[in-house]
Amino acid sequence: MGIIKTSKLTFDYVTRDEEEKVEDINRAISDVNLDIKAGDFIGILGHNGSGKSTFAKTMNGILVPTEGTVWISGMKTSDDQSLWDIRRTVGMVFQNPDNQIIGNVVEEDVGFGPENLGIPTDEIWKRVDASLEAVGMTAYRLKSPNKLSGGQKQRVAIAGVMAMRPKCIVLDEPTAMLDPNGRSEVIRTITELNRQEKITVILITHYMEEVIQANRVIVMDDGKVVMDGTPRAIFSRVAELKSYRLDVPQVTELAYELKNAGLPLPEGMLTIEELMDALVPVLKERIAGIPAKQKTAGEETAAKETAAKETAGEETAAKENAGEETAAKETAGEKTPEENTAGSDTVPVLKVEHLNYIYSQGTAFEQSALKDISFEIPRGQFVGLIGHTGSGKSTLIQHLDGLIRATSGKIYYNGQDIYASGFDMKKLRMKVGLVFQYPEHQLFEADVFSDVCFGPRNEGLSREETEQRAKEALAGVGLDESYYRQSPFELSGGQQRRVAIAGVLAMNPDVLILDEPTAGLDPKGRDEILDKVSRLQDRKGLTVILVSHSMEDIAKYVGRIIVLNNGEVAYDDPPKKVFSHFRELEKMGLSAPQVTYIVHGLKEKGIPVDDDITTVQEAENKILALWGEEQVQC
Amino acid sequence: MGGRAGSMLRDITLGQYYPVNSILHRLDPRTKLFGTLVFIVSLFLCSSWTGYVAAAVFLILVIRLSKVPFHFMVRGLKAIMILLLISVAFNLFLTDGEVIFKIGFLKVTREGIRIAVFMAIRLVFLVLGSTIMTLTTTPNSLTDGLERSLGFLNRVGIPVHEIAMMMSIALRFIPILIEETDKIMKAQMARGADFESGNLIRKAKAMVPLLVPLFISAFRRATDLAMAMEARCYHGGSGRTKMKPLQYKTADHIGYPVLFLYLGIVICLRIFPPKFLPLSAPVR
Repeated sequence: MGIIKTSKLTFDYVTRDEEEKVEDINRAISDVNLDIKAGDFIGILGHNGSGKSTFAKTMNGILVPTEGTVWISGMKTSDDQSLWDIRRTVGMVFQNPDNQIIGNVVEEDVGFGPENLGIPTDEIWKRVDASLEAVGMTAYRLKSPNKLSGGQKQRVAIAGVMAMRPKCIVLDEPTAMLDPNGRSEVIRTITELNRQEKITVILITHYMEEVIQANRVIVMDDGKVVMDGTPRAIFSRVAELKSYRLDVPQVTELAYELKNAGLPLPEGMLTIEELMDALVPVLKERIAGIPAKQKTAGEETAAKETAAKETAGEETAAKENAGEETAAKETAGEKTPEENTAGSDTVPVLKVEHLNYIYSQGTAFEQSALKDISFEIPRGQFVGLIGHTGSGKSTLIQHLDGLIRATSGKIYYNGQDIYASGFDMKKLRMKVGLVFQYPEHQLFEADVFSDVCFGPRNEGLSREETEQRAKEALAGVGLDESYYRQSPFELSGGQQRRVAIAGVLAMNPDVLILDEPTAGLDPKGRDEILDKVSRLQDRKGLTVILVSHSMEDIAKYVGRIIVLNNGEVAYDDPPKKVFSHFRELEKMGLSAPQVTYIVHGLKEKGIPVDDDITTVQEAENKILALWGEEQVQC
Repeated sequence: MGGRAGSMLRDITLGQYYPVNSILHRLDPRTKLFGTLVFIVSLFLCSSWTGYVAAAVFLILVIRLSKVPFHFMVRGLKAIMILLLISVAFNLFLTDGEVIFKIGFLKVTREGIRIAVFMAIRLVFLVLGSTIMTLTTTPNSLTDGLERSLGFLNRVGIPVHEIAMMMSIALRFIPILIEETDKIMKAQMARGADFESGNLIRKAKAMVPLLVPLFISAFRRATDLAMAMEARCYHGGSGRTKMKPLQYKTADHIGYPVLFLYLGIVICLRIFPPKFLPLSAPVR
């Protein structure tokens, strides 16, 4: 028997009415049988609501199984006698970094667990020192948790668990609320704990790339274990994963698509290096194979050589004017409404001129948050705003909505100076709709429909018009009439978020600003929201500004990227051009989509591909073209 | 602007620890609690300028010892400005006595000025005094101090440990909830909510979109935190050890006599007010 063993584990959430009568039973886990070896690193994947969090909570007796048994080192979690022993054996780290730190100083928080266990004072200090060292937070031991970044807070939470000397740590979506840097910080920490301290790690997440380091991956759906195996085995079943609302990293996806198209690649590619090692020889062989055969082909050779030269020539030409070309490609590409309207020479919907903002001016905490920002956004454009945490993104978008007043500089909405006296700020806030991060936290009405009506009602519209707007907005986010009278608080997280976005859409804004609209959602949920937004932008000519940490999402949807770094605009160009500066982006704590790294790698190895590719589809087409072209010649 | 309310809330320094290493930071919280109590009592004992001078000297000394920048404490004062102005105004205009000048029906008396000024000083000193304590004591050790000092109440059935834990948690979450308030306020303003104009009833109604999400969030946080505490084996005060058990050190052994000395001086100044100052007549 391993450190954790479950047998026929089932858990029901039972809702009771006031007279304790059972109203509703919701089965969150059903019949899970697992045996987890000590020292393993287990990744548990599953979409929102798949039962993975509930499963985590049964592992240290926070939830006691409705049926079946969970054994922790041979102790039953249903046995009250061993509850404290179980909890010191299996420690838990939760999703929200703020809601699990008890201490007001880092080291005091880490000491909280050992204090509860009745450990002598000297020993507590030793453990606190060791735990902080293990997560690399010793330098912050006297800081207030409120002053730390999300990733640092989670490391403190991990240290707090480590100080209890557990054999196993269960982490319930510890990275869901973090930015990419915080995420890799946390993943690095837990990987180290697993390797060096031999702690059994159970990591629950829906970021696929985080479980690559695991030695076993379990996929849950509808409360059941549906897949169980090594990351490689799991990730080679791409279609099946997608059917569970999950996703695979771009590398895996690209490899999978190429393999399906007939390229001889091994299954389940997990890292860029792996794919390169497999792909480069295959493509090289292909390319090198041609001249070898050409010799025997005689006459045809000359023709082919010229053809090859031509393609090569084209390629260099393409490289030379990559800048203009990208813009041109955009126009020719899928959707770039800004180009359609650009000809009519209209006033930009938003224009920012030399904007500066200084926090707490005149105090010791004075800090320049925005420095000399200028840009124009034409009507109908889909703009991505990226920058590491603290680069000024949130401050900037709050300026655009008139929620923060600039220290100096100007903002024009449709040519009107928003700081001019007599300008109706309330009107601006209606026309520039701002969807904050975790917008579902601002829902307050008893039912979905009334909540969405809040905005238009504030606008002073008639009842009919208000309701009309609300209906349109809800339809726009894909919620039909059956949701209207439901309480927003009983919906799933993804649905709540859509209600909140509808609440902003109902004001009929010209500009929609979304701050991390996909944070905390599972891959399918992410795509659904962004597809809806993209459709609105397409159909209604809405101008959209998308703030996101996901370069993959940005590359997929936007036509222009503004990069903020330390309060300044670092780049303001089409995605291809911005991502071609991926080395500089990395210095700013950002990155490029995975595929961009892949094509750059291929190019360095001498494979003739464009290095400005930013989506999997593009990369696939290019590589297949390379492959297919040669195939015809063979 | 929306930011104003939020930033005003943020200015309250009460309950915000300022991490530097000073003698005051190292003092036992019980000493500091006792010291704050002595200081407050002394303020109400002050009846003359000399008493306030003694209190001011003591306060300045303590502020210097704390190594906390002075403007940090002043920020805390801003929050009580309105209270201060109201009480000053009341005392200034509504005290009977020798009239100095009149504006309409409002008359300003010599006694009024005296009391108003004393009142203002008292209030400012009071806030500064307690702010120093919270700035130099982590809320945890503060509650530890309270828990130990008031431990005797356990015998009459008051759950001192639980109350102390609640206080400590409340203090930890105040800044988080303030930030959250600011955020929700802005989010609702982005949907056209108006928190500033209208009469009292309209204003009260306008608070609903702010308060409902705030309460929901507070409950969610409470549930999460309770679960996190349980997962870390919290089960009340029994059988619990302390990472930082309270122990009196040399500084405390000096601290207590200093406090008593200060209290003695203030009492002496009250009983034997120095006669050489014209304004030193005792106040009723």
